[in-house]
Parts: sequence; structure tokens; C-alpha cells
Amino acid sequence: MTEVSIEGLTKDYGSSLAVNGISVKIADGEFISLLGPSGCGKTTTLKMIAGFEDATAGAIRFDGQDVVNVPAEKRDIGMVFQNYALFPHMTVAQNLAFGLEMRRVSRSDIATRTARVLDMVQLSGYADRYPRQLSGGQQQRVALARALVIEPRILLLDEPLANLDAKLREEMRVFIRDLQKRVGITTVYVTHDQAEAMTMSDRVVVMFGGRIAQHGSPSDIYERPASLEVAQFVGQVNILEGKVVSPAAGDLTPVDTVLGQFLVRGVAPDANGTVTLTLRPEAVELASADTGGAQATVSASYYSGSLVDYRLTLDNGQTINVQTFPRNRWAAGDRVTIKVDGERFWPLGAPS
Amino acid sequence: MSKPLLTGYCLVIYAFLLMPILVVVGASFNAGAFLTFPPQGLSFRWYVVFFNNDVFMRAIRTSLWVAAVSTVISGIIGTMAAMFYIQHSGRWKESVRLAMLLPLLLPEVLTAISLLFFVYSIGIGTKTIAAMIIGHVLITLPFVFINVSAAMESYDPAWSLAARSLGAGPITRFRRIMLPLIKPGVIGGCLFAFIISFDIFTISFMLKNIGTATLPIQLYDYLRTNFTPEAAAVSTVSIVLTLAVVIISEKVLGLRIHRF
Repeated sequence: MTEVSIEGLTKDYGSSLAVNGISVKIADGEFISLLGPSGCGKTTTLKMIAGFEDATAGAIRFDGQDVVNVPAEKRDIGMVFQNYALFPHMTVAQNLAFGLEMRRVSRSDIATRTARVLDMVQLSGYADRYPRQLSGGQQQRVALARALVIEPRILLLDEPLANLDAKLREEMRVFIRDLQKRVGITTVYVTHDQAEAMTMSDRVVVMFGGRIAQHGSPSDIYERPASLEVAQFVGQVNILEGKVVSPAAGDLTPVDTVLGQFLVRGVAPDANGTVTLTLRPEAVELASADTGGAQATVSASYYSGSLVDYRLTLDNGQTINVQTFPRNRWAAGDRVTIKVDGERFWPLGAPS
Repeated sequence: MSKPLLTGYCLVIYAFLLMPILVVVGASFNAGAFLTFPPQGLSFRWYVVFFNNDVFMRAIRTSLWVAAVSTVISGIIGTMAAMFYIQHSGRWKESVRLAMLLPLLLPEVLTAISLLFFVYSIGIGTKTIAAMIIGHVLITLPFVFINVSAAMESYDPAWSLAARSLGAGPITRFRRIMLPLIKPGVIGGCLFAFIISFDIFTISFMLKNIGTATLPIQLYDYLRTNFTPEAAAVSTVSIVLTLAVVIISEKVLGLRIHRF
């Protein structure tokens, strides 16, 4: 039951500012992801929460109590490392028991707690194996179990799925998320994989260059990105220039674009009345018949099983990317009509 | 190279390397009064003479004692130095390494003479065995350092961090996590240190206090005036002792390398 509050956290390495005054509040039991490209300061932030790195400035509070001067071994955190960092000379059971021994838990309690957590990660029969005798996914679950068995105040995960193959990675996402929900532990998850951050988190914190670019729910981040950088980092995006036709009526503004005129939410036009709109590829629908929308020519199509990606060329020469289900298929050279709902546009620079 | 040819080549090299040892061992079983090879008849008489020779027995005890003490000191200092070397990356890293290996690169006689001046200038002198132990530590330190730092290369710093997050302080982290994982390197380094120390001549010769002699010094002394097979018996015993140390440490302490 721990709520984490980070205020003005800064890490100055002398030559560079790795983390530049970030502030986040993490509610009790919340799963939050720090998402960003390598070097954005997400791992440094995690290490400061863990106590492996000293903060240059700012505060980290667990339930209101500043832990900046508390050494890592006394912070009561559970940490899962990218390469798992299981102790190779200890069995699974000994790995799990280590943290409990440090807490002077009695021998019989160690046995029951270890067994319970191993059962939770579905590794009951593996107590006497050594880490080298386990597969990557199993090692991953042991690492989780080792972090959870001490019943820490918060759980920190540093790109824990980066070393697994694609299929296992998707299974583990669900597994970790379900486990976290069941245990109800406050969790901070570091990743550079946007899909991971989106599927697992209650809230995503997008970081660029040591600062928070945006934080919000996965759908906030994806559908209402605060900047072009964020929009592009969390998925593919089309950029369209728009011209405000008349002043907003309520929060809807009529905007003229190359795809036609739409009522767009949240527009804050510049002095010239222009606005930059983002449009996700899957927000666009295509039709063969001319239903009155903008016309385009298919210049390429990429089939990936459940989805098809099209590259379209509009009549003014602009390229637009579209993603649809493969119910109807078009080939290069086909003419298509584009259908978009105005709600699916999101203006950049919008007040969020 | 074809396989039989390679095998033959290896046999020749081994024969060349091992021949002197075989000759010494063979000569020690000589029944005659002089150190010759091939031996004139087989007998254990020179072993009997050797084991009844108080001077040699005392020298063996001194050698074992000096080797044990300097191995412990070298083991501790060398391991700490290797930990420092691995954990610190900076522009001084290579200088630290070079400084640690310097005793290997300098001629032993030079080190011995410098040490002689050093122990007198700091007031220790050669009245006690301390000077000799300082010398042995200096010479054996690089062997511990090389072995331990090699073992540390495959030590993942995340193991220490994981132990830290689980609540382990620095001493527990070293004792329960790092030491068991670098143990093969530490034991290997200490074995080297022990064997080298047992064998050192120049340093011991320069820094010994009057009345103390290690086995190599005693042997040298002996050979200046005598030429009996007893010298070969002494050498054989010292070879067996060295081998015994290696085999016992392997069995007792376990040199098994952990596979990850």
C-alpha cells in the first residue's frame, strides 16, 4: 500500500542532464510505465527510485516520506532486471529465500512464502533447479517471484521482456499485468516498447531528453498526443495541414483539409488560422465506390495477416498511410475513396 | 597437420618439458654416493638421510609457513584490488592494472635489491621474517590479481544490485553473492601465489634474516659444498608437496567453474 510521489527529480552527470526535473504522482496499486527511446532518462529515473543512483535534486516520497537519503537496501523495493540477475550459484528456492533471510523471516515462514509465490508464478515444481536449467521465460518468472516474495512497497521493472522472443513477450505482458493486479502492488515499468507500455499500464509517462513529454492513460497518449514526437513514438501517424473555416461552435471547429472538411475537437489555431492535425492510419476507412470522400490511388499494400497496410497517393500528390482489416483488398493502382470521422483527427499543440 | 604428427609433436614437447623433473626424481632414488643419472641402483637411502636432516626439515617448515602467510595476505589484497579495478572505469583503470602487474615485469633481483633498501629505510630491516614476507606478497600479488580480475569479468554487477534491492548490506553482498561466484578465481590465484612463494629464491635470499632459510635457499647452500642424491630427494619432496597442495585444494575447496 504505497503511493509514490516524485517531485522535481534531477540527475546531473556533470557532462549531461540525464533527468531534468521530472514530477509524477503514482497512486497506490497503480501500474505506470516510463516510455521513451534509449537515453531519455527512464532507466536513470528507475535507478533513482530504487536507490542505485543518487538524485542531484528533487524528492522521491513513498507515502509522503522522502526516501532520497535511504540506501537501496533499506527502501523495501522489489526489482526485476532486464537480464533477470538471478544468483547463478543458488537454486530457485534459495534465490527466493535470500530476501526473506535478509528480513530475518523464520525458516518455516520462508518455506511457506516461497512455495506460495512459486505457485503464483506457476513454477511450483522448479524450486530445486538452478537458473541455468530454466528457459528465459521461466527465469523471468523466478525474477518476478524473487522481487514479490519479500512483499515490497513498490515493484520496479527494468525492460524485463527485452530478452524474450516475440511470442513469449506477449504472453508475459498479460502474465505480469494479471499478477500485478492480483497482488495490487504499486508498479513502475521501464520500456522503450510502446505496445508493451500501452497494453500493461494504467498510465504511461512518455519521456524525451530527460523530461516528461506527456503523461496520461494509454488512450490519451495514443489518441491525443501532446506533440508530434509523442505521436510518432507511440505509433504511425499521418500529418495533415488544416485551415480553420469558421470560429469554433462549442469545442468543435470546422477545419478544411486535403481530405475534405471536418469538425475537429480541441483546435487552437495559430494567427493565420492554420492547424496541424494528426490522423492514425487505422482511423481511415476505404471504399471502392465513390461515396463522396477524397479520392486516392493505392501505391503499395503490405499484408500482415490480421491487417493490411496501404500507402495511398492523394490527387494532390501527398502520401497517406492507412491500416485496415483485410476484408476488402486493393492492389497497387486501384482507386479508392477515403472515409474519415472528424472525431479521429487530433490537432497538435492542443491544450490537453 | 595430420593427427598422428600432431600427437607426436606434443609428446616431444612434453618430454622436453618434463625430462628434467623425471631426471631429478630418478636421481633421488640413487643408491650411490653421488648425484648421477641414470642412478646406480635403486634405494630410498637419501630420503632417509633427508628426513633425518634437521636443517632441511626446518627449511621446509619455514617455506610452508612463509608461503601460507604470504598467500593469505596476497589473497586478501589482490582480491580487493581486483574488485576495485573491475568496478571502476576511468582513465586510471589501465594504470592501476599496470601497477599491479609491475612486480611480474621487473627482474626479481632488482625488486629484491630495492626492497632491501626499502625495509632498512623504513626501519623494519631484516632482523625478522617480516621483510621476506613483504617480498613474497609483492611477487605473488599479481597472480592473485590476474586470476581474480579474470573471474570478475564474468561477474554481472546486476547480481550485487539485486542483492541490494533484496536488503543485503555490503558485507552480506560480498560474502553471499560475490565471493561464491568469483571463488574459482580466488582459489586459483591463491594456489599460484602459494606455489610461487614456495619457489622464490632471489627475494628470499636477499631479505632473509640470519638463521632463517627457506627450502630453495637451504638447497642452494647445500649444493655449494655437497653433491649427493640428497639434493634430488629434497627436490622430489618439494615437487610432491606442490602437487599435493594443488590436488588437495581442488578436492577440498572445489575449483569447479560455475556455468551460467
